[in-house]
Amino acid sequence: MMINPVLLIAIPLGLAFIAVVFKKLQGWILAIGVAANAFLVFFVEKGETAIGGFKLPFAISLVLDDFSFIGVILVNVLTLAAVAVAFRKTEKYVPVILAGLAGLNGMVLTGDMFNLFVFMEITAISAYILSSEGRKPEQSFNYLVIGSIGSVLYLLGLILIYGQTGTLNMSLMAEKSALIGQAAMVLPLVLIFAGIAVEAKLLPMSGWVRGVLGNSNALTGVMFASVYSSAALMVFGRVFSQVLIPGTTAGVIIIVIALLTFAAGQVSAFRSKSLRQVLLYSSIAQSGLAAALFATGFVFPAVLVIINNAAGKMIMFSTAGNLEEKYGTDDYVGLGGAFVRNMPAGVAFTIAALSLTGLPLVFGFYAKLNVLAAYLNQGTFFVPAVVLAGTIIEGAYFIRILIKLWAPGKEGEWADADQSVGEKKIFNPAGTVVVILVTLLIILSGFLPDSVGKLVAPGGGLLGDEGPSISMTMEKGGDQ
Amino acid sequence: MNLNLVIIVSVAFAIAAYLVSKVNDKAGAFMTVAGSMFALVTVFLLRNSIGSEISFLYFNFNLTVTGWYFSLVMLTAYSMTAFFNPFWMKKLIYPAGYNFLYLLSMAGTLGVFFAKDFITLFVFWETVVWSSAFIIQMGKSRQAAYVYYVISAIGSMATLFAIMFAYGTTGTFVINEAFKGLAGYPGRAIVIFITFIAAGMAKIGIFPFHVWLPSAHGSAPHTFSPVLSGGLVKMGAFVALLSVTAFPAYEIFKDMASFRGIPLPIYFMMALGAISIVAGTLMAIKQEDAKKLLAYSSVANGGYILIGLLMLDQVGFAGGMMHIVNHAVASAAAFLSIAAVAYRTGTTKMSEMGGMIHRMPVTYLVYLIAIISMAGIPPMGGFVSKWLIFQGLADKGLIFLATTAFFGSIGSFLYVFRPLSAVFLGQTFTRDLEKKEVGFFMMFPMLILTLLSLLTGVFPNIFLRVVVEIQSAFGMLPVTLAENTIVTSNGFLDAFRVFIVFGFGFAIAFVLFVIRRKSRKVELMDTFTSAEFIHTRELLHYSHSFYAPFERLYEKAPDTMKLYHKAAVKINELGNMAESAFFGIRPARTVLLVMGMVLIVIIAGGVL
Repeated sequence: MMINPVLLIAIPLGLAFIAVVFKKLQGWILAIGVAANAFLVFFVEKGETAIGGFKLPFAISLVLDDFSFIGVILVNVLTLAAVAVAFRKTEKYVPVILAGLAGLNGMVLTGDMFNLFVFMEITAISAYILSSEGRKPEQSFNYLVIGSIGSVLYLLGLILIYGQTGTLNMSLMAEKSALIGQAAMVLPLVLIFAGIAVEAKLLPMSGWVRGVLGNSNALTGVMFASVYSSAALMVFGRVFSQVLIPGTTAGVIIIVIALLTFAAGQVSAFRSKSLRQVLLYSSIAQSGLAAALFATGFVFPAVLVIINNAAGKMIMFSTAGNLEEKYGTDDYVGLGGAFVRNMPAGVAFTIAALSLTGLPLVFGFYAKLNVLAAYLNQGTFFVPAVVLAGTIIEGAYFIRILIKLWAPGKEGEWADADQSVGEKKIFNPAGTVVVILVTLLIILSGFLPDSVGKLVAPGGGLLGDEGPSISMTMEKGGDQ
Repeated sequence: MNLNLVIIVSVAFAIAAYLVSKVNDKAGAFMTVAGSMFALVTVFLLRNSIGSEISFLYFNFNLTVTGWYFSLVMLTAYSMTAFFNPFWMKKLIYPAGYNFLYLLSMAGTLGVFFAKDFITLFVFWETVVWSSAFIIQMGKSRQAAYVYYVISAIGSMATLFAIMFAYGTTGTFVINEAFKGLAGYPGRAIVIFITFIAAGMAKIGIFPFHVWLPSAHGSAPHTFSPVLSGGLVKMGAFVALLSVTAFPAYEIFKDMASFRGIPLPIYFMMALGAISIVAGTLMAIKQEDAKKLLAYSSVANGGYILIGLLMLDQVGFAGGMMHIVNHAVASAAAFLSIAAVAYRTGTTKMSEMGGMIHRMPVTYLVYLIAIISMAGIPPMGGFVSKWLIFQGLADKGLIFLATTAFFGSIGSFLYVFRPLSAVFLGQTFTRDLEKKEVGFFMMFPMLILTLLSLLTGVFPNIFLRVVVEIQSAFGMLPVTLAENTIVTSNGFLDAFRVFIVFGFGFAIAFVLFVIRRKSRKVELMDTFTSAEFIHTRELLHYSHSFYAPFERLYEKAPDTMKLYHKAAVKINELGNMAESAFFGIRPARTVLLVMGMVLIVIIAGGVL
């Protein structure tokens, strides 16, 4: 049985309204909503669905191809994970989360550039409200302002392109924009880039991230770092590798900005002392990397980076948020030995860190290899050098945190469990189960990278790229 | 038993050790003994299946004689050290985790040596790096684990770059093929050579990567330092070996400027090895901690190994290969003996010990023989390998390298003697008077390693015959071996005859000692000075600032660690800059940035 993709948007949106009415049942409604979506997402019919009663290309369409399929899986499954890990914190935000989920699904699925704007706004509004959980109104306001600027810029860019192509339908726009001269496309492209960059956490629109994610809890942290940013990056990929493929000038500008985001994120994370701050900068860096890959046309490696980041940050932000709540600080120096009596949480966090750094035996390694191979097969070695330099810094700040949280003790003395900050459990049982499941997925996919590659890109490629730039088992027998 | 199974069973042992340790940590530690002994025996028995290939998941293995040789060295270090594990469980914060990671890293090293393609090699390599980093943090220093990881990461990321770059150029990961097609790209070849060898250099601890050794070896759990120094460092030697064999460096660089037949890129690496010898030696002389001292000596010995291997010739290469065994055995034994002392005294600081020979005579003997080998004195193995390396250097007329090698050899007399005199000789400290020798279970591996040191010194040809095979496999002219002698163009070495001569001298001395044993045994405290009896034993023991006048000669030498600190500070500053420029919490700045961006685009759009 295959279902209509519109249900992924309609169910949470409908439940959001119901939740407003039936306040008492909010918990159940949320649970049912996110669980249903996370389940149904695997049965959604592929192809292009027109909604609104018009025929294509005039109607608004939802496109479910291999690419957006990954997007909706990430969005729905991770939302379920975020809600399951921090169910108690969802109390005040049930309609917001559900509406946000509808918006996110819409963002990823839509095949219409203006419709995309609408869904981005729905998502953004829910994000602003969620950000108020951090009790830093100034930061939420800041977020709101930057988000609004982004929206305006996006609209401006879209108007410019609409004026030249005369359509808002993505596939039609892709055809027509290819005929327009490159020079005329640069400005609108950059404006649209700025619009998407807000949620994708790319420079120069990432000013809000520190204030919002730096004060996040286990719920909002995961929502912002894993769910929202994955959806935004998938949209980024859709727009810049399928609809409005940047020419040389725009491409260089976007890639330079994206790599700058990567580098700035890594060095900022290196200097940070607060756990959440390290994580948020690392998220910014990963976003930059994914964006650079998309803008170069390497869709498959970019998607791997997004998946890796989403899974890793889900574990890490929920851990960080909970640690902050339990111990009142997330300065990792003050959290020495927090993992000593929290084996599952610690192992999960460690595996997530290894994966994000791109170390072998876990999924991140496959992602990293694909990133490097994509560029080096093309003969570009500047970007891989930047990526690897970033990896060294990334490894350095993660290992510093891991060592601190695993091995308490004074310098010059053996690591000692008695020196640890405390024995408070980081996750409740449900959270532990979720985190362990995600960890197992990261490990398992690390052992079967090529199967994961086939799952991610069943047709061999995504949005017209070549798919995996590397096959780990290619050398079997050694006679190829 | 095939290659796959050795690794899989080792991992299974690791998991089993973890589970068992959860119930009883000592039993889990015995699992590490069982696991490593199992691996040692099985790999040894794989001698006849050299050349076999096998795949598992995305890993491809093949067994070469080189891999076999290296893995035996590695497993010797792992299995012998494992005997100490059961006695140290109480000290560890995660006994189960330690046992697990101990065997996991061991399985990882096997994967490195058996790897057929670079992906496999890199995967196992990194597994070893992170699993050992997690072990090191359980020791005395968190900073040490951090430094170890970061330096290793610098090396391995460079190597990953090289592997991928070569893949982008030649389209394969197979170790024997990936680099072969690089001759047509001299520019790329240099970049790939330098970045590829980086991981090896970092792991051996070649200057400027040597900074991790003193802190990591010195602060790791006492049961892991022997593995680090005796084993894991040799993984670096393996990569260094690949960088002149799998990467046909001499062939690819043959048209480049060269020095005495050695192309400059390779000579440059050898020069770094020479610097390591000098730096390691000088720093070792300065140390007050026995483990740190041995760590610096590992730096120096790593330099010998690197120089020997990179020569890729008949004699020097054989010396380098031989030195891998000798140093592994001797340094594992030395670290174990210090661990044994620490087990009884609780410290590794030399100034806090003395006269342990009276309490732990066997440990003393183990240490003595280990340092004889390390210093390159006959009849121990270290002499043979250093002799071969010197022969190789002399043959080629590599004056600078030979000078540093001799310097290191003489310097090593200075430093290896220090723990001997400070820890073992002199006055026993009052609190150590009741200390006992370690039990047989800990003594056993030390004695085995000691016998191995002797074996390599007396019958080096047993090992050199494998080296001959390795040399033939790489198409080199193998070192010439006669019945019991090693023949080079400058002469020959009959190690057994040397042993007989030494044995004879020893026998005469022993006979004299026995017949002239009429002197009265004087208690150590039976003495006086300035007409006063002394009651504080510690005052009669001189072990601090042993070589102060000599150390003063180079006390102003630059500290490499400062370079890394500076780099870290710079990255921090960059981070501060990036944070305030891009991630400020005022929206106004974002607006400015966007306007700037749009302006640039408009201008650029107009120009382009």
